[in-house]
Amino acid sequence: MSKDHLSGFRLADDLFFVLHNDRTGRMRLNQRVTGLGLAGAVLGELMLAGRITAGMAVGEVRLAVVDMTPTGDNPTQEALNHIIAEPSHSFRTWLQFLGQTAQANVAARMIESGHIHRPRRSWLSKTPAYIPVDTNTAVWPTGRLNLAMQRRNALTEQDAVLLGLLMACGGERAFLWERDPEYLAQTTASLPAHLRELIAQTEAAVGDAVISRR
Amino acid sequence: MSLKEHRPSAVTSALAKDRLGVPSVIFFVISAAAPLTVVAGSVSTAYAATGVTGVPLGFLLLGAILGIFAVGYVTMARHVVNAGAFYAYTAKGLGRPVGVATAWVALLAYNALQVGLYGAIGASTQPLIADAFGVELPWWVIALFFWALTGALGLMRVDLNGKILAILLLTEIAVVLLFDVVDLVNPAPGTGYSLDVFDPANLFVPGIGAVIATCVASFSGFESSVVFAEESKDPRRTVPMATYIALAVISILYAFSAWAMTVPIGTDKIVQEARDQGPNLYFATPGEQLGSTVSTIGSVLLVTSIMAALIAFHNTISRYFFALGRERVLPEIFGQTSAPTGAPLTGSITQTIVGFIVIILYALFDLDPFIQMFFVFGSFGGLGVLLLLCATSVSVIAYFAKNPAPETAWRTKIAPAIASILLLIVITLVMVNFDTVLGVPPDSWLRWALPVFYVVAIVFGVLYGLSLRKKRPEVYAAIGMGAHASVRSGQ
Repeated sequence: MSKDHLSGFRLADDLFFVLHNDRTGRMRLNQRVTGLGLAGAVLGELMLAGRITAGMAVGEVRLAVVDMTPTGDNPTQEALNHIIAEPSHSFRTWLQFLGQTAQANVAARMIESGHIHRPRRSWLSKTPAYIPVDTNTAVWPTGRLNLAMQRRNALTEQDAVLLGLLMACGGERAFLWERDPEYLAQTTASLPAHLRELIAQTEAAVGDAVISRR
Repeated sequence: MSLKEHRPSAVTSALAKDRLGVPSVIFFVISAAAPLTVVAGSVSTAYAATGVTGVPLGFLLLGAILGIFAVGYVTMARHVVNAGAFYAYTAKGLGRPVGVATAWVALLAYNALQVGLYGAIGASTQPLIADAFGVELPWWVIALFFWALTGALGLMRVDLNGKILAILLLTEIAVVLLFDVVDLVNPAPGTGYSLDVFDPANLFVPGIGAVIATCVASFSGFESSVVFAEESKDPRRTVPMATYIALAVISILYAFSAWAMTVPIGTDKIVQEARDQGPNLYFATPGEQLGSTVSTIGSVLLVTSIMAALIAFHNTISRYFFALGRERVLPEIFGQTSAPTGAPLTGSITQTIVGFIVIILYALFDLDPFIQMFFVFGSFGGLGVLLLLCATSVSVIAYFAKNPAPETAWRTKIAPAIASILLLIVITLVMVNFDTVLGVPPDSWLRWALPVFYVVAIVFGVLYGLSLRKKRPEVYAAIGMGAHASVRSGQ
């Protein structure tokens, strides 16, 4: 089990908080982009925990399982099971596939861990509102990234991935107080290749979603 | 584990639920072509502006040429998947600098097609408002209303979804067919069911180039079929089927309707009547026969049809800007999206600004919204689309020469070669007749001024591509990858 995991801040939870309004619990980006970002975060957790990695195979970038030890939580275990069962899909396909369920799965984990309230179904709105149990916890990831950037502090590996995924979702203008292109570029460049690939693939998948006509 | 191997892939079946079949792709493709806009707007304008009666034959001929073009085009789509098809193909086939030039030509052409529609929607809504409220609004006021609506919908990322498109499209086609039938049962006394308009002698006259430019503009939208390759159920089958069916439906429907329109009026009087009545020409005979309510419904549908086309072109353009911004071929700012909606923000706003400038200029100089805006911009855009098609055909040949694939020679060499030659001939015809397009004397400098825009775009596009190769090789390497530019350059 990774150190980051034990400290309580999980990558997908952090991204989930950033991508949802801390009071209303509504999505800040559109549905598809939110799903793709969180799919990236679930895969990111698996990468940070040393379960999977990314690499070229048969002319495309694919995911490879490194360690089959159970992860101990549902979204990552489910993703890992799928990757073990069907290793021949491209990275993009995984993002598209996991993007369909990532938001609901991560939300379920966060409800279970007591981070957000179980959403009340409203027939006024199609999308559920995921209201945080504690607003301070919910704004912490955004605050942490912004403070680090303001002070030009180096980020932890997990937070660098969080920032990278956030930018890949096109949310940097909405969530960052200031944008220092050099700092942002350095932060991503400092990551190992498979994590940079994760961010690049998420950015490409989000781009596809923007271009897609549906 | 062993149990899983016998089951169909969970991943594939989950993703397949979301995929498009042949009918959905056809609906997307034809609705971008906006049938009623073409039949009521383009056809009557083509008769009026060119004075050529061979318009119906023009649609059939062009449909055939595009059919041959499509052979290589859909084959390429199986091997190169990209959302900005044309420039991705030319970048792969003829080199990245040509890809940049193609992208710029595409932006010019699509913007022209889109902007021209503002003239059409202003002019066709004007009589409807006058009838309903008794107010004579200037066309550009109405155009600005639809301009604002298009811009807002673009930012909200409202795409007409498949169901609305399908309903609109089927209603449009039903109206077109109904009006065709009414036209056919009321033949003009002298000429009757004359097939003169299909006589090559009535097409191959001075002005043919202008007719062809209009026809190309009318077909534009069909090329978007390949964009759905990745989202279709079976890319090998769905995209080619949808492309050929859409082309056949469009060309036959347009040719038939353009002919039917001449039947109650007479092939000898069609040009004069088109000049006198403009876009109302198409609704005149059905209005007399079926009552004014029916023709009003037709006019309202014409407006919704143009609106659908406006949205389609606006979104195509803003996505083009976005893809180029992601590649950094355009400034990075074009790669930005609107946070809440995921719309290509900068691209959308840029397109909206272009539309505004043109509408205001036309209003200031008091130019005619139909002939001088819709027709001129449409033909100018049509010429650009022809250049794109021709370059794409040549790059299909070049691509498969470099990357042999298990495809037949007909698909990779013969059909693209025939298409390239035919398209070159067509481009020459359009250039020769560009004075007719603009309605200026043959010796006017204006006839050369507009096509020069494309020459400039091509020259500077190639030069810019070459300078990228020298100065920013990482950007150069990503040309043609669109949204996937991040994947290569991130490594």
